[in-house]
Amino acid sequence: MVEIVFITPFVTGLLAFVLPKAFSRQLLVLTGAVHLLLSVLLWQTSPRAWFAEYFAVTPEGLLSLLVISLLFFLIAIYTTGYLAAHRLKSENVFTGFMLLFLSTMTMVTLSDHIMVLWIAIEATTLASAPLIYTHRSGASLEATWKYVLICSVGIAMALVGSLFLTLSMELGGVTAAMSFSALAPVADQLNPAWLKAGFIFIVVGYGTKMGLAPMHTWLPDAHSEAPSPASALLSGVLLNCAYLGIFKTNKIMVAAGLGDFSGTILIVFGLLSIIAAATYILKQTEYKRMLAYSSIENMGIIALGTGIGGLGVYGAVICMIHHSLIKSSLFLSSGNILMGYNDRLIANTGQMAKRMPKTFVAFFAGFAGISGFPPFGIFIGELFIIMAAFKSGHYLAAIVFIFSLCVIFAGFAGQVMKICFDNPADTGKTPAPDFRETPRLVWPQYILLLTSLILCFFIPDALYQTIVDAVHAIGGGLQ
Amino acid sequence: MTLYTVDTLLSLVLLSVLFAFGSSRVPALIKVMAFQGIVVSIIPFFITPDMETGAVIFTIATLVIRGVLIPLSIHVAIRKVAIQRDVAPIVGYHASLFFGLGLIVAAAVISRYLNIPSISDSQLLFPAAISLLVTGMFLLMARRNAIAMVIGYIMLENGIYLMGTTFSLRARHIVEFGILLDVLAGVMIMAVILQNIKQTFDDVDTSLLRTLKE
Repeated sequence: MVEIVFITPFVTGLLAFVLPKAFSRQLLVLTGAVHLLLSVLLWQTSPRAWFAEYFAVTPEGLLSLLVISLLFFLIAIYTTGYLAAHRLKSENVFTGFMLLFLSTMTMVTLSDHIMVLWIAIEATTLASAPLIYTHRSGASLEATWKYVLICSVGIAMALVGSLFLTLSMELGGVTAAMSFSALAPVADQLNPAWLKAGFIFIVVGYGTKMGLAPMHTWLPDAHSEAPSPASALLSGVLLNCAYLGIFKTNKIMVAAGLGDFSGTILIVFGLLSIIAAATYILKQTEYKRMLAYSSIENMGIIALGTGIGGLGVYGAVICMIHHSLIKSSLFLSSGNILMGYNDRLIANTGQMAKRMPKTFVAFFAGFAGISGFPPFGIFIGELFIIMAAFKSGHYLAAIVFIFSLCVIFAGFAGQVMKICFDNPADTGKTPAPDFRETPRLVWPQYILLLTSLILCFFIPDALYQTIVDAVHAIGGGLQ
Repeated sequence: MTLYTVDTLLSLVLLSVLFAFGSSRVPALIKVMAFQGIVVSIIPFFITPDMETGAVIFTIATLVIRGVLIPLSIHVAIRKVAIQRDVAPIVGYHASLFFGLGLIVAAAVISRYLNIPSISDSQLLFPAAISLLVTGMFLLMARRNAIAMVIGYIMLENGIYLMGTTFSLRARHIVEFGILLDVLAGVMIMAVILQNIKQTFDDVDTSLLRTLKE
């Protein structure tokens, strides 16, 4: 029964290629709704999979799945508005691959077998590459090339990592199935040297996909070239899926008593990403690239929190959920800005507060949320990570983290002020005059931000329990 | 006796690695890649006494894809759409060759320290696997020509395949999934072709491109 959740979007995705345009738009929303329904059902009942050896419902997978489902449903609604306002040359290909992308990402969250996870993550690359190439310009082709090339090398490294895992099983005399849930109980029998090597390769491999520095170079290009609904999916959920691969492997490491080793690696990659984001965000001239660098920052924060452990893991999971909600709303708003100004450069935008008041509210609130202002959840997540860092004696990491956060906030704030309040530079270009902020183009953002806001103050018990279960598996908790 | 065959074949692979470091033309690299693909995929026949039918099918599929299909498609691609033949090195050929020699020596030394029981019979299996992997990475980073980068990527895949087939039976099942990586390589080749078509047509008439695209 578990498999239905990713088979449904796969089938509808194939259908979307052949159906008439108007129908495939409706199909997008419909699939989103059905997917959301199925995910909630899965969460409430947690049934067994038909192929229990390959798929399983795990707490961390469920969390990602719920986020993906909610996000996709809202993004699908936005997409119908987006497609009505902004003609794409090959709309069916776009909607079809959006649905296939959803299917592959769902498969990532539900896979339990190491190789099924690997296949699913590779499939996400295949399904999302055409989305980045949607505009069919030279720049989008270059971005797609970079994305496919770098992520392919990453996925190859992850294969080497999985290979080393099997070798560590072989040398340790473990005969269990190659699934995360079967390996965790016998993790202490695994050969530690090869397990460590495997973990490094897997972190590098999936870390490439997750956007950890220094393997992040594809991310700003891909996220800025893709149409905004696709960017929102890429940034909001694809990065989480890759993180899930690292998270699950880290579970084995912790069970094998190598948590300190894996933690150190994650802290180093996390800090590198945060520093890289802080360095590049200051000199960004395009707003979508700026948002992409902010995603790299947040992925760094998540890796850092996971590496620190304890309360930090809880903070990382909180950050992951809220980053998805807020960042996807920001990317959707950036789609409106692009349609309204017809320009990617920050310098050519301005006075958004006056010209697009509804988008302005969403964009500015999203900015406040992503920078870690109190009413939004990222604040709590970051606070927990900093507390955990000081508690566990990672003083240097905490100081670098806080300093980078300040730099990123300064850079981000300056650019956002320019977009919202400055007078636009006179380029002689006429802005697209017919852009209207229809409800479908602003309400999804509002709902995403509202969800983040509500989850900050009130987490339903069932959701809280799922988070605690997920965190508990790698030795984290609310102490 | 069979092991000598394996080592002989692998020594040829090591030589071809050096050749890949030193060659300046894409067609030469294609030949090297095809040769390595064929050798790497027939190695399992020599080191496993009796293979299951499934494994045989996978091995032959790998042989066909890496030894014939991909090299052929790249070959056709560079002939049909005018792709640059020069590999456009970022690191010079002499430096590359020197790096290649150092790599092979280092790989041989490292493999002495790792004692993996299943490959203690053959001297060259692990060094060849590492060399292929690193050569692939090197070509990816030190060549600007997109096709040369794709070829580098396929060499990297070959390295992984060789590594997996030599480790253990379970590991071999894992690297059989590596066939899926070839799909990615296929996408890359398509991207290169698209890129070149675009460049060719952009100068002439963009409306022509639009009609061709649908």
